[in-house]
Amino acid sequence: MNLTSMQHAMNHPYPPRMTEFTKPFWDGLKNGQFLTTQCQDCGDKTFPPKIVCPKCWSDNLVWIRPGITGTLYSWTRVHAGPAVFQALQPYYLGIIDLDDDIRIACPIIPAGIDICCGARIEMVNIEYNNGNQLAAKLYACSKTQTGRRYL
Amino acid sequence: MSKRVALIGASAIPVGKYQTTDQEDTQIVEHEIMVKLVKNAMADAGVTKEDIQSAIFTKPRDYTKQSYFHTFLISHLQLKCTGNVMEVMGNGMTGALAFDQAANEILLGRANVALALGINMESATPAHQHMMTSMRTTGDVDFHSPAGFTPISWYAMDATRYMFEHQATREDLAAVAVKNRYHASFNPLAQYRTPISISDVIDQRPIVEPLGLFDVPPRGDGAVCLVLASEEIAKALGKPYILLKGRGFYHEGLHQISDKRNDMIAFNAARRAAETAYKVAGLTPQDIDIAEFYAPCTIVEVLVSEALELVKRGQGARAASEGETRLGGRIPISTSGGLTSRGHPALVTSLYNYAEILEQLRHEAGERQVKNARIGITTGELGNYNSALVHIFERMQ
Repeated sequence: MNLTSMQHAMNHPYPPRMTEFTKPFWDGLKNGQFLTTQCQDCGDKTFPPKIVCPKCWSDNLVWIRPGITGTLYSWTRVHAGPAVFQALQPYYLGIIDLDDDIRIACPIIPAGIDICCGARIEMVNIEYNNGNQLAAKLYACSKTQTGRRYL
Repeated sequence: MSKRVALIGASAIPVGKYQTTDQEDTQIVEHEIMVKLVKNAMADAGVTKEDIQSAIFTKPRDYTKQSYFHTFLISHLQLKCTGNVMEVMGNGMTGALAFDQAANEILLGRANVALALGINMESATPAHQHMMTSMRTTGDVDFHSPAGFTPISWYAMDATRYMFEHQATREDLAAVAVKNRYHASFNPLAQYRTPISISDVIDQRPIVEPLGLFDVPPRGDGAVCLVLASEEIAKALGKPYILLKGRGFYHEGLHQISDKRNDMIAFNAARRAAETAYKVAGLTPQDIDIAEFYAPCTIVEVLVSEALELVKRGQGARAASEGETRLGGRIPISTSGGLTSRGHPALVTSLYNYAEILEQLRHEAGERQVKNARIGITTGELGNYNSALVHIFERMQ
């Protein structure tokens, strides 16, 4: 499944570096695809992508496209961030558990004023003028979920 | 019997705002503060200059103009050392590592007396500028920092999860800040000493939700010098000292976050390091009389107290509101005022914690004295407590 793109008409506040090795991830993101690495020997999936398998130290890794749905494990809203993030304040961050068994920390985009741990999410691609940012878009809390209204 | 290490003296400046900007006519410089602290700490210990054979410094912040600070300071004191003279750096664990390394110098027989000391000056640099550096320490600089993660944003997510799993409220967490401010009101070294209420904490502006200004550490400067000695020397001084009774370290092989589902609020490394320290000391959590944690936010104190099994899982916040962790309670935690009120000059914060344990176990803590305190525990950490260093001390007379 391809990532939905969301436009942010500004420069990325803190652009990441790209290496020969991580280039497939960044190229994928630009094209609306979420890629990461999986070890061919022990099967371990990692994020961020790893050049050597952290678990078995094999370098027999391949790029895979994990499913892009999951749930929100936790979140915060930052009111006092580093200098380059002042224009975005307050901004939202979260920890995502993909259904595909990978945990990711990334920006989140809330669905409303209530945010709940356990809310369903879909990974998205934020397009800045000069680069991309992997993020998670939240769905509304279900009837059985208790959310916390942000302050 | 193998060698044992004692903490025999300490001196510290009150945590506060000392750092001057370049524009000011007269400057505050680090070595002028430190030479006096070393003198005071040595007087407190009752040993002499010639006894010092090793000095382990915490690395100063990059804002400190004098580089190679450790060897520079040694020259100001003309200390001739056979044991190591060095600076250590490990983010939040820096102070704990300096103490640990100084203890090692004695255990290895390189020194009979060793200093663990340092200064952290940063308050003249605004928080949003300081975070341009600190954001690079807590996560992957290419995959996390670009999202705007800062050190305390991770603790904030711990708080969110804790409130979700244990139905804790912001008021429960606020009780930790209120309790620690009450403790700080009795501590001349504390940065903030005016008592506060639960509503004072709740009404502060949000910083990293659900944590507000009083749930997170203030910015501040500080400096500490500790004097460690072999037990033989400590004993010969003929006054109470505290013995390093147990030590444990654990790194769970993670940096802020696992990419597999795990229980992020179990603080597994603190649990494992404490298990080792308890075992080495031959003690259990029930034996602990007083605890000083590296706990930058209210939620961190809660989670560490649970990981060390001083309170039951899910009960850490309520233990503060019910007075269990307050002075006079079952297990007083952060009698210094903790990082939210005593203050948090991060690279020397743990040195302040050892100084507090020393004062308490020597029964010299005045109004904040824990009655008959005999056993104390401290923690240092890396990341989101992905690594922990735990020390247990016992009063000896």
